[in-house]
Amino acid sequence: MSENRKPDKKRKYYFDYTMLFIVLFLVLFGLVMLYSTSSYEANIKFDDPAFYFRKQAVASAIGIGVMFAFMLIDYHIVQRFAFLAYVVSLILIILVLTPLGYEAGGARRWLNLGLSLQPAEVAKLALIIFFASVVCRLGDAIQERRNLILVLALAVPHALCVLIITQNLSSAIIIFSIVFMMLFVATPQYKEYFILAAIVAALAVAIVLLVKYDVIPAELSYRLRRVEAWLDPEAYSASTGFQTLQALYAIGSGGIFGKGLGESIQKLGYLPEAQNDMIFSIICEELGLFGAFAIILLFVLLIWRFLVIANNASDKFGALMVVGVMAHISIQVILNIAVVTNTIPNTGITLPFISYGGSSIVFLLAEMGLVLGVSRSIRVED
Amino acid sequence: MAKRNQQNGSGRFTQKMSIKLAVLFIMILVAFAFLGIRLFIINRDNGDKYKKKVLSQQAYDSITIPAKRGDIVDRNNTKMAVSQKVYNICIDSKTLNKDDGKYLESTIAALYSTPAEFSYTKDELRSYILSNPDSQYRVIARKQGYETVSDIMNMVNNPSMYPDFKGVWLEDTYVRQYPYNSLACDLIGFVQGDNEGAYGLEEFYNSTLVGTNGREFGYLNDDENLERTLKPAQDGKTLVTSIDVNIQSIVEKNILAFNEEHRNEAREGDGSTNTGVIIMDPNNGEVLAMASYPTYNLNDPRNTDNLDIKVELDPEQFGIMNGILDGTDISEMDDSELAETVRKLAGGNNDAGDESGDNSEGIMEQDIEINVGNSDEEENDAGDPYSGMTYAEAYDKAYEEAKMEALNSLWKNYCISSTYEPGSTMKPFTMATGLEDGILRGDESYVCNGVTEVGGHEIHCSNRLGHGALTFEGAIEQSCNVAFMKIGTQIGKTEFMKYNQIFNFGLKTNIDLTGEALTNSLVFNINTMTPTDLAISSFGQGFNVTMIQMAAGFCSLINGGYYYKPHVVTRILDSAGTTVETVEPRIIKQTVSQETSDKIKELCVGVVENGTGKSARPAGYRIGGKTGTAEKYPRGTENYVISFMAFAPADDPQLVCYVVIDEPNVGYQAQSKYAAVLCKDILTEVLPYMGIFQTEELTEKEAEELAEKQQEFSKGSTGDSEEEVVGEIIVDADTADDGSNGTGAITFVDENGNELDEEDLTGRKIDIDPETGYAIDPTSGVLLDPQTGAPIDPTVTDLR
Repeated sequence: MSENRKPDKKRKYYFDYTMLFIVLFLVLFGLVMLYSTSSYEANIKFDDPAFYFRKQAVASAIGIGVMFAFMLIDYHIVQRFAFLAYVVSLILIILVLTPLGYEAGGARRWLNLGLSLQPAEVAKLALIIFFASVVCRLGDAIQERRNLILVLALAVPHALCVLIITQNLSSAIIIFSIVFMMLFVATPQYKEYFILAAIVAALAVAIVLLVKYDVIPAELSYRLRRVEAWLDPEAYSASTGFQTLQALYAIGSGGIFGKGLGESIQKLGYLPEAQNDMIFSIICEELGLFGAFAIILLFVLLIWRFLVIANNASDKFGALMVVGVMAHISIQVILNIAVVTNTIPNTGITLPFISYGGSSIVFLLAEMGLVLGVSRSIRVED
Repeated sequence: MAKRNQQNGSGRFTQKMSIKLAVLFIMILVAFAFLGIRLFIINRDNGDKYKKKVLSQQAYDSITIPAKRGDIVDRNNTKMAVSQKVYNICIDSKTLNKDDGKYLESTIAALYSTPAEFSYTKDELRSYILSNPDSQYRVIARKQGYETVSDIMNMVNNPSMYPDFKGVWLEDTYVRQYPYNSLACDLIGFVQGDNEGAYGLEEFYNSTLVGTNGREFGYLNDDENLERTLKPAQDGKTLVTSIDVNIQSIVEKNILAFNEEHRNEAREGDGSTNTGVIIMDPNNGEVLAMASYPTYNLNDPRNTDNLDIKVELDPEQFGIMNGILDGTDISEMDDSELAETVRKLAGGNNDAGDESGDNSEGIMEQDIEINVGNSDEEENDAGDPYSGMTYAEAYDKAYEEAKMEALNSLWKNYCISSTYEPGSTMKPFTMATGLEDGILRGDESYVCNGVTEVGGHEIHCSNRLGHGALTFEGAIEQSCNVAFMKIGTQIGKTEFMKYNQIFNFGLKTNIDLTGEALTNSLVFNINTMTPTDLAISSFGQGFNVTMIQMAAGFCSLINGGYYYKPHVVTRILDSAGTTVETVEPRIIKQTVSQETSDKIKELCVGVVENGTGKSARPAGYRIGGKTGTAEKYPRGTENYVISFMAFAPADDPQLVCYVVIDEPNVGYQAQSKYAAVLCKDILTEVLPYMGIFQTEELTEKEAEELAEKQQEFSKGSTGDSEEEVVGEIIVDADTADDGSNGTGAITFVDENGNELDEEDLTGRKIDIDPETGYAIDPTSGVLLDPQTGAPIDPTVTDLR
């Protein structure tokens, strides 16, 4: 199946500068927003306003290095390690149970391997590569419905491990959704996907209704309590609804053009851990609706570039990888903004490139490197 | 970019996939559009509300910075009332519970390793924090001194050095302290509740002392940017009073000595119902000392340990018949058993209020009187305040009321708030009226048979056998009522009452202290005044005065007729020590002429030299004075107010000392000599302290007494204060005997036996300024160089 053709030097090759620019802009903009958002809290907690900023800047620099590395190597080499990536990423998740794993912010989700690493982020990248490879290998066999279910089932171990071992529902949802979207694009069926999506949606609605009408007590799980707070954040303004409500205050008080960069009030101790999942609300507060729409537009542009690259990729493996990255970015952006605007219950999802998180930015930029690599293989006709 | 490879190889992205990818892209776009609309709606619908929410959360972010209450100092800057900065230790449970309570134990351990006194034990604090995870403010130790909290302050201020110490901060506050405890308590007053002065200077000057609290707050400026502003506290102003702590101490010591001496003598209890002393400077109206007895500790004004709280309640009102109290037979019980029983019965209701501890303790220790046969009529007339209560509840209520009444009378300043009939100390005023009017010439003579009849009443003289023939001087020296009734009749009520007004009787002196009694309804009305009223008024019965009225009026009689408004505060300083207000002596009016004043002085000197005031003469001094013995209402109960009014020295009065003893605890109260002796004891110490030298020869007996007393003073003063006694007085008995040495009967020597000259003597009671270490000249208040004795320019020395 190897389609490892050496590019002909006489031919002109494409490089997506638009995408590179968008990615670099988002990373730098993210650093500015992160500093603005976190300096107050960092100063109180660590007596150093640049504490978070510095860590994130280092991670971003590493990430950009990784991105260029992935861009320059031939992405077909990656395909050889697809199965290995699948196994290793699963092992990494399980390693969290060993003493190598450690806890931060009340959840055990990290590995200490000299550098701190969040295995869920590794799993996202690994599964994108693995499923792109699997779909290519299966060829036409993927078109059968039975095989489709089997392939989809390959994502279950990772999703379950992330959910059970690291207690990270949002990452499990993202992992599963990435695979779901990749297969949706790779296979001709529509009905099956819509049925599956409808079943999931119906289950979600059922749970929400059961919580709403107190059929199942919300005290059973903190996730149910978050559903409860989502339905009426003001009733739980002192507890589970606090963060959501403060985020809404931040968004609402920003107005059209915002209070100006660095002028957020909500970051001054009111919105807890604003630099993580809630950074978008501070963007809304400081830069207003205008700034928020500009950021959304940048993400749309980025996703559009993924579309273009996938459509023009020189082979299916590359194209599917781009689809996987596109799925990853769009799901995280959509879910993050949905949480911040209280459109869905609060669950910890970071905003790609902008939220604080070292593993996240490094692996996201690695994915960008893969996509840019794919874009380099596009041949431009003479 | 348009020219791209569109090849459709087998391993390539198919057309179908492109379509599906486009479908996916459109769905993503729809989701983004939906979220964009959502953002817009949040802003449109709730923007204003959320803006306000954000601002209202900010409002909590303001801190009150307490102002320091101003000090009260005496004339030598000795601090009588100070505000000490102290700290409340507060905790934030929310912070301590963060990160699974990781810092809880380390913080608690660090807190309890300091010497601070916490309101909770370690375990109580831990369980409080765990059970109140949302609490962000709780005071766990109140009013701790700087030394006690310095470690905690260090940890709070250096979070990076103490990363395991969290959720604790310190709150500034002030406590009022009175370094001399009960000294001048009635004059100073105390502070209660939220920095509110009660009684005395603390209440009168409350607004001056209190200052303005500052505030630190955040607000949004025009650009809606958050700004922090600090409005600093304005500390209260300091009162400089005319009081001299040393004179005040001498006065209080002697009052106490008198009351201790006569304790339980004729009846159970203190040596008198009340004893008041005022010392004033007649030349400017400044009060040098003002004291009364009993006293209380200003640092603990609600202590009831020494109070005699009487509860008057009729058990029969509560259906307790035939001496049966809630099933207990009380008819056979004595007082203490009864009190014990009542205490047990009332015990169940004693939980309410913080005073319950004091309450039951008080009942046990104190003398409780339950008047079983109390008059029913009175209580019925007033409406029964105890209706619907059990006996135990009613007892509690009555006890609480009785306690407040006892405390209020304890806190009251007898010298300005209590009124009484002045008695014979009125006689100089009557005589001055006659002289000023020209009705008396000074060469009259009187005959006293012991009784005279006025308006159909027989009124006796203090000497029932009669004084016989009396000169003008003799009438006042012997304090003859018969002679004064004649003088009163001669003056007539119109002139008499006119001069009473001039002497300010019936009016307030408006001294700068809270609680001065108004006596306008307690003096005679000229329209209804009968000849008998006039007759008894002439020797000070039948109308009421306050001590400060008498003292201020007497000052004018002997200083040439200038009526100064009596006052305590002489200067007001701001918190930096700069004078913002100086209270100049204010002459209100001229009461009598210089000639009359001189004559009255002469007559008063005669009273001490030849008459009833002999026992008031301090050895070695020539003073003037007048005794007073007034029978209290109801007449015939043998209760008297005795008094002595003195000025010293006779030639150039520097002070007026007025002593009033209400119901001295002696067998026969109508003896003014108790007041006179108390006055003498006070003057014996105060006059040398003020640097007033002896002018008279001492008899051998006086010299011995004085030497003995001097020994006591020096012992006492070295024992309880740092007062410098450079030398001690010894009496040269030989020179005193032959009288050849005149005024030099007493020689002062220092510890080495070297005779001290007059300059050294001035330094005998010299105080050392604690700030600069320089000596203070007692007469001028100027700082002196201890080596050269030369005055130091105060403008050069930084007094702060």
